[in-house]
Amino acid sequence: MAFNYDKYLRLEKMPTLWCWGCGDGVILKATIRAIEKMGWEQNDICVVSGIGCSGRFSSYVDFNTVHTTHGRTVAYATGIKLANPDKHVICVAGDGDALAIGGNHTIHACRRNIDINFIVINNFIYGLTNSQTSPTTPQGFWTVSQKAGNIDPTFNASNLAIASGASFVGRETMLDPKKLERLLIKGFEHKGFSFLEVLSNCHINLGRKNKMASAMDNLNWIDSITVSKSKFDKMTEEERVNLLPTGVLHHDTEAREYCEMYEEIKAVHQGKRAKITQDDFAKKI
Amino acid sequence: MATREIISTGNELSAIAAVDAGCEFFGGYPLTPSSEVMHVISDLLPAANGAAIQMEDEIAGICCVIGASMTGVRALTATSGPGVSLKAENLGLAQMAEVPLVLVNVMRGGPSTGLPTRVSQGDVLQAKNPSHGDYKSITLCAGTLAECYTEVVRAFNLADRFMQPVIVLTDETLGHMHGKAMLPTLEEVKEGIVLRKQFDGAPEDYFPYQCEHDEPAVLNSMFKGYRYHFTGLHHDKNGFPTEEIETCRKLIQRLEDKVELHRDELELNEEFMCDDLEENDVLIIAYGSVSLAAKEAIRDLRKQGIKAGLFRPITLWPSPAERIKHYTDKIKNVICVELNIAQYTAEVERVSGRIGSIEGLYKVNGRPIAPNEIVEKVKEVF
Amino acid sequence: MSLIKAPENTPVWVDTARCKACDICVDVCPAGVLSMKAEPTSTLGAMISIVALEDCIGCNDCELSCPDFAISVADKKTDNIKFAKLTDESKARAAAIVANKYRLPENYGK
Repeated sequence: MAFNYDKYLRLEKMPTLWCWGCGDGVILKATIRAIEKMGWEQNDICVVSGIGCSGRFSSYVDFNTVHTTHGRTVAYATGIKLANPDKHVICVAGDGDALAIGGNHTIHACRRNIDINFIVINNFIYGLTNSQTSPTTPQGFWTVSQKAGNIDPTFNASNLAIASGASFVGRETMLDPKKLERLLIKGFEHKGFSFLEVLSNCHINLGRKNKMASAMDNLNWIDSITVSKSKFDKMTEEERVNLLPTGVLHHDTEAREYCEMYEEIKAVHQGKRAKITQDDFAKKI
Repeated sequence: MATREIISTGNELSAIAAVDAGCEFFGGYPLTPSSEVMHVISDLLPAANGAAIQMEDEIAGICCVIGASMTGVRALTATSGPGVSLKAENLGLAQMAEVPLVLVNVMRGGPSTGLPTRVSQGDVLQAKNPSHGDYKSITLCAGTLAECYTEVVRAFNLADRFMQPVIVLTDETLGHMHGKAMLPTLEEVKEGIVLRKQFDGAPEDYFPYQCEHDEPAVLNSMFKGYRYHFTGLHHDKNGFPTEEIETCRKLIQRLEDKVELHRDELELNEEFMCDDLEENDVLIIAYGSVSLAAKEAIRDLRKQGIKAGLFRPITLWPSPAERIKHYTDKIKNVICVELNIAQYTAEVERVSGRIGSIEGLYKVNGRPIAPNEIVEKVKEVF
Repeated sequence: MSLIKAPENTPVWVDTARCKACDICVDVCPAGVLSMKAEPTSTLGAMISIVALEDCIGCNDCELSCPDFAISVADKKTDNIKFAKLTDESKARAAAIVANKYRLPENYGK
């Protein structure tokens, strides 16, 4: 159906500077479709992006947009959201931005459970700066910083988010843009921190020296390392070892959102309620 | 009129000042000896419907402050030397994207972990250029308990006027000093608030970074119907990244000129007992808590028949070059007294042209300078 | 839902100014409607082209998978278009295109 993306785009910035076949464009479109389905006003949305190819995301969309320093998207977004709790904040960062330099901020944003939607575009490499190893680059791949072959073990980004306390964690790829759109919508609807890992292709930087120099080859590789969560759950440890599950991986509907909790602090200082104690929380440690 | 009496510490006064000046957001991280600013404002802000948050590290502290300020609210952070070092990259983004904020640096012994609970003025040069690249720092320095309040208020107005971070230097002595401060009334402070300019025309006619060569950007509050882009990259009139030759040159020159060509709005000095100084008298240049000792020393010296006066810059950067030169041209005996090794002396030498003929009393062991130390040094060198 | 009005009788159309010739839409089209063609003046020397407009089934996979807003499909409900059914012939053509590096083999079907 001829969805009108133009309304949400800064048309003077088109075409995008992303490489031919880069997944970032597909993710951008899925995000726009999800935003339209949410019925959010353009003026009420802030998109915060980091440094890297995914960082250019914010230039292309006609919302309030911020392009931060490397790794700090969720830190900036925390200030934006806490000062304006009723607005919609979407962060977009790559795997290096979110998990390497920005790792600490990612962990604490998950822990804090502030209502921010964090789209982490994981293309398994530092793309913009030409192929340095990222925390998700598989061992044995060629990277420009480890031309003898990567020895660095990898993060499982979604597991990291779950362990850090994120109340909504999901993973999709850009192989099925409709599934991706549905995941994004669920994340946007969730009141709390949504960690949305999207596996993407970087055939120009990751793929070219690792036997997947075309978009389709890179996408086929992503297909080969992913499986739906329902299938994954039924697999043995052995079968799971080189697979990443996709879908909604964790959804805690009970976790309290940070800005809402902060209203309680305001209430205490404005004399509207007694001090907050351990009794206010189910979790005691 | 300074008629409101508050008995408190410097750190607490800085927090109160921020809230009085309309600050609605604080983000930070505990760092001795600045933590009390955070402790106090964490109670004051939610009471006033604002928000204060202790973030996971110093860098997150400045980032969330910049984020909040981008949405249009006055925002504060407080830290000490090591924190400024960590915040440096993002201070640069705030300079580049022209986002106002106030950073209170309660100086302690450095470098590195240094002397966390002791005083120094070792961050003066850092305040001039905390981040890489070309931009002009605006740095104020409180020299009394009351100024821990009034300089923070002034900082917020200057940050909104010049659309960039403003650093307020205090130090461990003032931050933890407990005493009486005579302050302007709350009404006077409120009346003096001048918020950042806003564009009120049609959104299609709004270009946030299109301004005169010596004017700051006009950044409308977020979420109000004016959608534009913030970035640390070189950018065009809409805030979008560009590498275009003239646009880039003009942008950096404007970041320089918007401050440099309006130094008169920034300059603030105290000239204590300087009116009767002649060529062979003594001029002391000092700032911050050291100036308290300097004033006492001057009274002592005058009792001993030595005419001395104090020139105290309150805005340290940009420096009051002409006023300094006025005195250094006139008076032969000039001594800078600092709790660092000649950091501001270097600037005095530069603007006066008197390389090698400015005396100095420097102390870097974390202890304050006593009035008698200044008296003895003056008598020794002049 | 904001939609663009499809041009008259056009199930699918492309914007060659935006296309970067990445092959993805050709790969995902189940009905062999799309193919790359040689185009010396553009990116990678290739450009998208529609080779079997009347066989478009309106599945929208091409539009969803295109990273560059370069292809659009008519809306089943609001545009007055009759989409085709997916036939074995269409599937065979799709397979032939993919096997031939995303280009419709010369003289195919003749």
